This record gives sequence, structure tokens and C-alpha cells, in this order.
Amino acid sequence: MHFYLPIAEMSANMLVFLGMGAAVGFLSGLFGVGGGFLMTPLLIFSGIPAAVAVGTEAAQIVASSVSGAIAQWRRKNVDLAMGTVLLVGGVIGSFFGVEVVRILRQAGQFEFAVSLSYVTFLGIIGALMLVESLSAMRQAKAVPGGAPVRRRARHNWVHGLPLKMRFRRSKLYISAIPPLGIGFLVGVLAAIMGVGGGFIMVPAMIYLLKMPTNVVVGTSLFQIVFVTAATTILHAQQNQTVDIVLALLLMVGGVVGAQFGAVAGERLKGEQLRFLLAGLVLLVALRIAWGLVGTPSELYSIGRGVGGH
Amino acid sequence: MQRADQRGRYGRLAGTLLVAAALLLVGAEVRGQSAGTPQVIAPSTGTAPGAPPRSVLPPRAAQSAPPNAAPVADGPREAVEADVSTRSVAVTSSFTGTEIVVFGSIVNAARPDATQTVYDIVVVVEGTSQALVARRKSRVAGIWINTQSLTFESVPSYYAIASTRPLDEIADAIVLRDNDIGFERVRMTPIRGWETGITTSDLQQFRQAAIRLKQKDGLYTQSEFGVTFVGTHLFRATIDLPANVPVGPLKTRIYLFREGQVVGTFNTEVTMAREGLERHLHTFAFEYPLFYGIFTVLTAVLAGLVASTLFKRARH
Repeated sequence: MHFYLPIAEMSANMLVFLGMGAAVGFLSGLFGVGGGFLMTPLLIFSGIPAAVAVGTEAAQIVASSVSGAIAQWRRKNVDLAMGTVLLVGGVIGSFFGVEVVRILRQAGQFEFAVSLSYVTFLGIIGALMLVESLSAMRQAKAVPGGAPVRRRARHNWVHGLPLKMRFRRSKLYISAIPPLGIGFLVGVLAAIMGVGGGFIMVPAMIYLLKMPTNVVVGTSLFQIVFVTAATTILHAQQNQTVDIVLALLLMVGGVVGAQFGAVAGERLKGEQLRFLLAGLVLLVALRIAWGLVGTPSELYSIGRGVGGH
Repeated sequence: MQRADQRGRYGRLAGTLLVAAALLLVGAEVRGQSAGTPQVIAPSTGTAPGAPPRSVLPPRAAQSAPPNAAPVADGPREAVEADVSTRSVAVTSSFTGTEIVVFGSIVNAARPDATQTVYDIVVVVEGTSQALVARRKSRVAGIWINTQSLTFESVPSYYAIASTRPLDEIADAIVLRDNDIGFERVRMTPIRGWETGITTSDLQQFRQAAIRLKQKDGLYTQSEFGVTFVGTHLFRATIDLPANVPVGPLKTRIYLFREGQVVGTFNTEVTMAREGLERHLHTFAFEYPLFYGIFTVLTAVLAGLVASTLFKRARH
């Protein structure tokens, strides 16, 4: 069951990548996350060139989030104005990120940049989630009647910025700059790390923009579909690093795995899920960090030179 | 794609799109080998009138009647004639590497009746040349980063040596060097301006590392007893082409040695090209990258929608 991958230029066992797609799909269904942050490192560990892993994973995220986005749209859980502002920032960020990938690849620093961004983002997010889920579990145990809910401050620095816009679905009147910035960051991360960026965007929407939770998931999915689609096209155009065969294998495995994951997820409590997810995120971060600090067995590496023919 | 000349650029694009779409829809199982016509066989540089027919291994029966055996000691000079079992290697979607058999015979052998081999054969197969960049990591603030690099202008992407005996027993280093045999003789010219920040000993280390890594990838191989004689005149060697061989022509050089000197050479070429679905996808991705990207996105959207519809139906 081998298939020669046209862009990665290697013969791959189809079952391995179908299985990988299914496993990550199961976890993403279980936790309700995109799974890009697990899939890209897995692809790199399994020998797919880092740039191909990132470009291809963007295509897979399109497939795994499009149906969710449509379902949320039907339920009117998408703030179109907010989504569009995030999207504009996202596409600009994606342009920028793809260009950064091109430059880093030429300089031979792309693998390093990918590893460093993974360690940084997964480390921070994982640690925050771990602390949050632990305190939630402790509170749930200590006060069975529910912990006192802390009132959120009604205003923060976000409200002092110019360029104010009205976001009706979110019932917000805030500056367009923070969502543009968040969108931009997510676009850059999508291009460099091969992730959808939901793990940054969702907390930012809740805590920074103070959007109502019912539109957060729909709006972020809306943005992710379009930004990863743009990222896929840009990677294909600029770097020729999107492997359609590999993407298809991951998609097929992924959608099947996600269905089973979603069923399994219904049996676990929210804070338990978040605790497990935090553990997983931190493990991935540690594994990549080890690759950066551990003494490598081979100091040299070779690659295709630029402008050889 | 073969009829593309008349159709022009967009016709070709539409064709590629249609074929790629059709093949993808049929499913990943399609092993598009239907692209038909095999690659044009490059004429071998040495024409051997009595060369064995291609695609046929040297038959054992041929042992008894070597075609041009001249049992005269002072007859015409000995020479080597050879061919390769496969003149063209097709890289299709099911390509998992292959092997080619180089076979041939010594003509006008000086001592055909001798029980001991006086002749040695060395087969060198060289892949298409590519620019190669070698990088070295060092520790910066506790983290291992690529800090030095050296680009070589053109390096054979693949290099296989097979011989009847270890090379140093066949001939001395000077003869081997003069004939470009051995990993040390692989042509690796650094790009102009490499001297900045890199010493000659660094250059040597980069060279050795590149060869070592190529060996680790199975792209540089040496088989010290890879050539075997079948009888006194016929020889054969099996050369492994792993799945990661960069696609491009393979130059095959066959050397005939006697008493440490080259007494005959024969060159031939094996073409290697992508075919079928593999070829269409590669052309699509590299010649129409924008459309390929859009096509990939549309495929992804379709896959996502189909999957969710199927699972929704399964649940009800």
C-alpha cells in the first residue's frame, strides 16, 4: 500500500498516513480542536520535509473545518463583520508568513523557526490551560454548588483605540485594530506552523475582545476556513510545498477519526478534557524542545541547493 | 500532454486539470500508468553491434558460446560491451524504488581459457546533478542552530559503484582518480565565493558530511563484490534504485580493468521520468502552481462536505 508522494518526493505507506490522520482526527474530535498543532509535528517526525508538512496541513485544515463552519453559519453563530475583519488581518498575515517561510527556507533556518514557534506557543497555551483546568477541577470539588463567578471588567485598553466599528452579532462597539491584529497573528501562524490558529483566536476573542461565547466558535471557524484556504494557495504558488496526495490521505483519516472522537468526547467533563488536552499540548512542546536543546547525533544536514539548475 | 503543442497553454492547463480531477475522483488507488508511450530511449553513447537484446538478462546458456571470443593471444584489443536491463525507469504513483541490472561481456579477451579471472569490471551509475547545500549546526545559547552552510554547484544526486573486488585491489588510487571512480572523486564544486568564513578543512568536512548523509539516504552506494562473472566473459551487476532517487537520467559507465589498468570503457544512459498520475500532478503543481493551489482547496472543501454528509446520513 505504498504511494509515491508527488511533492514530498518519497514513497509513503498509505496506511501510516491514513492512521495518522485518524489518530489526530480522533483527538481533535475529542477535544474540539483543529489538530494542526499535533499533525504538523507528527508529519515532520515521520520524515516529511517541514515545509511540505506545513503547506499540506493547511489544506487538511480546510477540509476538517469547512463542514463545522457551514453548520455554525446555519445556526447563525457567525459574526460576519467580526469574521471579515479577522479574515482581512488573516490573509495579510498569511501573505507575510508564506514570504517568511520562503526566506527562512533559503537561509536553512525553517526547521528551527518551526520548532521554536511550536515550543513557544504550545508551551504558553499548554501551561495556561493546565493551570486553568486544575483550578476548575479543584473548585468543582471544593464547592459543589458552584464557585463564585468573578465579574469581568467591562472595559479594558481595547476600548481606548480608534477606528471603532459596530459588530452587531457580538453586541460590541470596539476598534477594528485588535481583531485585525489577532487575525494577522493567526494568519502568520497558519503559514509558518501549519495550524488553524483556533488555540490563539478563541481565547483572544473571549478574553481580549470579550465576544459572547455563542459566536466565538462559529466566527473563528469562519476565519480559519478562509485563512487556511488562502495559506494553501499561497504555499502552492510561492513554495510549491502542498502535497495533494498526502493531504487527501490525511483528510480521509481525519474525518473518520473525528467522528469517533466526538462521540468519545461527550462522555468526559469539560475541565477533564481541558486537563488532558493541556497535558498533550505540553508533551508535544517538550518533545520539540528536546530536539532544539539535545545534542544531535548528526550535526550536518543536506538539502537541495537554490538556483542549481 | 503529448498533443499539447497545438492546443496552447490554456488548453494544456484544462487538460491537466481534467485529468487530475478525473483521476483524483476515481480515487487514490488509480495507478495511472496509462500515459502510454514509454520514454524515448536515449541512444547509448557506445554502440555495440553484438550487444545482447535489451530487457533480457544474460542467459546462462550463452556461457557456452561467447559471441566474439577470439582465442588468439595477439588478436585485437579487448573491449567491454554492456547494456542495462531497463533503459527507462518510470516513476509512477506506485513507485517504491526498483533495481536495474547492468550486464555485458568482454570481447576479444586475451585468455579466455584461463581459470582465474584476470579482468575486473567496475560499474558506476551516476544520477542527475543538482545543487546541494550542506549545513552544520552548532550550539548558540543552549540551542542547536544551523550556523554554517556551504552550497555545492552540482553534485550527482545518486552515485552507485559496483565492482568485482574492492576498488583498492583492482587498481591504485591514481588510476581510480583519473577515471573518476569512487566517492572521493565525486565532482562537488562549491559555488563561487564559498571562501567567506569557511576554511579548506571546513570544505573537506562539508564534503565528507554530504557524502556520508547521501550514503545514509541510500543514494550513494558501493558494492565491493556487486559485479559477478557468469563464466569467463559475461558479467552482471544489480544496482538498487531506492524510492527517493531524484528523477533524472542515470549515466552508466562500465570500466574493464586488466592488471590495474583500464583497457576498455562503455557508456550508456538510463532515462528516468515521472509517468501517469504522478507526472500530471507534478506538472500541475510546478507549472500552474496557482491553479494547483486553488484545485487543492476545492478538493479539500469537497472532501469535508462529502464526509460530513455521509456521517450525518449514517447517524440518522
